[in-house]
Formats: sequence, structure tokens, C-alpha cells
Amino acid sequence: MTITLAIPSKGRLKDQSLEVLAKAGLTVSLPGDDRRYRARIEGRDDIEIAFLSASEIAGEIGQGSVDLGITGEDLLRENVADWESKTAIATRLGFGSADVVVAVPDAWLDVETMADLDDVAAEFRQRHGRRLRIATKYWRLTQQFFSQLHGIQVYRIVESLGATEGAPAAGSADVIVDITTTGSTLRANHLKILADGVILRSQACLVRSLKTRTSADEALAGKISASLARAAGG
Amino acid sequence: MGAHPMTSRYPSIAPDILALFAARGAPAVDVPVLQPADPFLDMAGEDLRRRIFLTESETGAALCLRPEFTIPVCLDHIASQSGTPRRYSYLGEVFRQRREGGNEFFQAGVEDLGDRDIARADARSIADAHALLAMTLPGQALKITLGDQSIFEAVLAALGLPRGWRMRLARAFGSAEQLAAALADLANPQKNGALPEPVASLVADGDLDGLAGHIASTMSEAGLSASAGRTPQEIARRLVEKAELRSVRLSAEAFAALEKFLAIDVPLNLAAAALEDFAQSAGLSLGAALAGFSARVDAVSAEGMPSDAIRYDAAFGRPLDYYTGLVFEISVGDASRPLAGGGRYDRLLTLLGAKTPIPGVGFSVWLDRIEQLRGGDA
Repeated sequence: MTITLAIPSKGRLKDQSLEVLAKAGLTVSLPGDDRRYRARIEGRDDIEIAFLSASEIAGEIGQGSVDLGITGEDLLRENVADWESKTAIATRLGFGSADVVVAVPDAWLDVETMADLDDVAAEFRQRHGRRLRIATKYWRLTQQFFSQLHGIQVYRIVESLGATEGAPAAGSADVIVDITTTGSTLRANHLKILADGVILRSQACLVRSLKTRTSADEALAGKISASLARAAGG
Repeated sequence: MGAHPMTSRYPSIAPDILALFAARGAPAVDVPVLQPADPFLDMAGEDLRRRIFLTESETGAALCLRPEFTIPVCLDHIASQSGTPRRYSYLGEVFRQRREGGNEFFQAGVEDLGDRDIARADARSIADAHALLAMTLPGQALKITLGDQSIFEAVLAALGLPRGWRMRLARAFGSAEQLAAALADLANPQKNGALPEPVASLVADGDLDGLAGHIASTMSEAGLSASAGRTPQEIARRLVEKAELRSVRLSAEAFAALEKFLAIDVPLNLAAAALEDFAQSAGLSLGAALAGFSARVDAVSAEGMPSDAIRYDAAFGRPLDYYTGLVFEISVGDASRPLAGGGRYDRLLTLLGAKTPIPGVGFSVWLDRIEQLRGGDA
């Protein structure tokens, strides 16, 4: 009986994950060698820790190759198709908060809402000979929000692997869908968030894979979730 | 049947269908299975991306397995600079991702490009689809449903609705949900946020040049090109248009008239009269759109189809921006899945790059659904 718990391998998310685990009485004994990606919890041979990137964690939980993991809700919803049938958010951990938002240039004084953007997108091709372009690394979230929630069909997604907020000025896209914490990067790039343009209020979550386990493993996963929920809430 | 490989998977009805198309003056064209993906995504929208099979060439070009035939047939027509009018037929597999069931389906259909006699071409498209289904499903009661985007747009124009609203409603046509949402919005518009100075004053004065100048300087501060995307003039115009609509609401009369129109669902031979009654009671004139509609009704009856099997449903449409007039579906009994679907797409060829406007109408038939209805002899 062993449970694999994946936690982010670097940055603030890693530190905050270790903190909340320690608070829950699950202190990770870090490997002496930084390049090792496995670790143990002190006194717990039944829990194995795997260090992975936050987006890998979402994918691995979706595939069921790890049991539990700490990752962003944005990454879970973006990287795992049909995520609700394969995974469940056991608890939200209260750190790593960030919003996935639709932002347009400040100069678009006439565009305040998604309905405005719908109008603009509908006429874009006729006026400019191409569809409205959205730069994002959130393909799935963008499609769901634009196409399924707001019925906006005519736009093209331009893949952006970094510095998405610079895409309008660089001329590679007209608007963006990106993650923001304080909005200062957007403001610095002369972009504004639409009034109803918050796609997701994301934060770090403990996520559980819904694969079938032995009842002992299931109980153990439940206990870990419960103690992390208490630690995050306290 | 020439170039078509007769694998064991090919529907047994395929040779009869190809013979029918040839007899009706629509020779078969070959369409490669592997297609550039951009035209499909450009025309149908990004949502298509999760329903098609995408791949990439060695040079990084996005390719897909053909999800349908209309766009490649039109692209071929443009590339070959063939004269018009011209009719093309096709029969082959299309590939779509679905959660359940298979990912490969056989489709057959006809695209009719460049015929300036709109009513005749529309009627012939319906008749072609009907003939195919009558041949492959003998004895089955076929039900034809017909809608018309241009009639809906004529009603919106006759109601005197502002341009922005007409566009919004026209693109929701065919989706009851989106149309209801758009109507609710117009009956109770959202409050606009307060504008900062000097924008508020410029808008109040309707000073388009002043506004455009202000927007242009905002754009240049942000490093935005004033020509690569939305222009300062375009933003200024829409801003003033929006301000003018701020106090306007969709009137109760207009709302009632639209509801009454959308509820029209009658046999085709009574449709023109029903539309005239509606127009008269609402005090509207539908002009050329109604004349075109009546001409099509006459052309359909000239094709000799059973007119009591055809219904006109005023709310029936497809929310894609290249459909411009007729849309139709043919099904058997109460089956929810249509066997054939078609429509007029007068904007499509221009969107795909044709130098001059080329009208087009066409339909596609789901051969797998026909085979299922035919039972074991597939």
C-alpha cells in the first residue's frame, strides 16, 4: 500500500506546497541531491513524493499515474480533457492564486464586455480580411469560454508560449487570454480585462486521480486530503 | 467508378449514387484526404479544432483529415479558375472526432457554383438530395425542412432595428439559445461603464475625428499599429454607435413581431401566404426577400417534389456567417438526426479568396445513416 503524491519541483509553488504539507504533519525529507525527483515523508513509508512541473502533475493525475498532486486549477482544466471524469479537486489550498482573463488593448474604448467582443469578432473578417486573433497558452479554456459559454465562433487562437501580454503590440494577436495575479503586467502593456472576462479564478489545489485503488489506498488518500484541507483552512 | 477505390468498406449504394449525380449533371471530383487546416478553422471557427484530426507537415504547415467536402471543392474551383456555372459532386469519407461511435463517415453531395438563377439552383439542390434519398430509401416517408436566413434579415431590417442589433440577431439565427440571449440583452441592455475625459465629451459631441485622434495617440503610446488590426476610426465609430443605443430598448412591438415570425412553421405551399399575412399584420414590407422566397417555392414545385412533404420553419437556420439564404434538412420520420443537410453560401467563395463573388448552394448526405436505415444489406 503506497500512495504517490506529486508536488511542484520548483519556485514558490514548491515552497508553499512543502509548507502546507509540514503544517499537515507531513514533513518532506528533501533529497540531499537537488537533481533527484523522488522523496519521502518522514516516518511514512506509505507515501512517495514525486517532484514534477505543475503542468506535468495535472497530466499525470489525469492519466492516473500519480494518485494525488498539488497543481493549479488552471492547469488541471487546461491540460486534462474531460477533467471532471478523471480527477477531483480534493481541497483548494489558498495559495498560488491567479485569474485566467480576457484582456483587450486599452485603446479599444468601445469594448467592455464579451458581448462587445462578439460584435467586433463578427465583423473582423469583413473589415480586415482575417479573423480576430487571440494569443494564449490556454487553448481549451479559451475555446470553452468563447465558443461554448459566449457563443463566439469566429476567432483564431495563436499559440503563445511566453510573454503573451506582448502579443498585441508585437502584432501577432489582437487580444489575449492569460493568467494574472495583480493585473500590473497587463496594465504595463496597455491592456484591460473585460468586465465579464474572468474565465477562471484559479489557485493551487490538491487534486485526486479518480482511478480505482485498493480500499486501503483509497482510505490513505482520503486521510491525506483531510489533513491537507485542515492545514490549508487553519 | 473510375478513380474511387472500391474497398469492402465502401457503401454498397455508392455506384448508384455516382450514377445519379452524373445523370443529374454533376460530375464527380476527387478531393485529397489530407487538407490544409486553416480554411476550415477560418470558416467554421476554433471550436472545430477539437472535432477534427490535425497533423503537421515537415515544414510546420497545419494539415487535417478532411472534415467535410464543401470547402475543398470550393477551393479547387477557385484555384482551377473554372468557368461558372458549374456543378461538382463527391463521395468519400470525412473524419471527425467524436466521443462515441466512429470517427470516419461516408458523405456524398453536390456543390452548385455560380448559377445566377438563385431560385432554380436552390430548388435543384433540394431536388438532388431528395432524389438521392428516394432512390436509396424507397418507400420511406422523407421529411424536408426548409429555412431562410435572408427572410429573417429582411424582417430585422423592416422592423427598423439599428444595424448593430441586426447583426447581432442575424448571427444568432438558427440557435434558439443564442437568439433568446441576444433578445434578452436588447430588451434590457447592459449599462455601459462611464467613459473618462476627454473621451466622454468627444462622444457626447459625436466628434468622430477628435475621438479617432485621441484613440490613435493611445494606440501609439501602447505600441499598437493603427493599421494591422482595429483602426482608430473603427473604434471611434463603434463607440459613438454604442452611445447612441444606450437609451434605446427593443420595443415590445418589435419583440412580439419577432416572436410571431419565428413561430411560423407551415407546409411550403402555404409559406408565402403565411409570410405575407405576418408582414401585413406587423405592418412590415419584406420586399425582395419575399419575392425571392416565392420564386423558390415555384421552382421547388416545378421540380415535381411532393410539396406537402416540405415544411418551412421560420426559425430554422445555421449560425455560420457564410450561409446567406436557403438552409434545408431531410430526415425520415421523427428521427432527430438528419440524413441530408444543405444550404446557400453566397459569401463562402469570396471568404475563401475568389476575386469576384460566386454564388453557391449545396448539400451533403450522411451515407452511414442511410445504410443503417436500409438494414442488413450494407
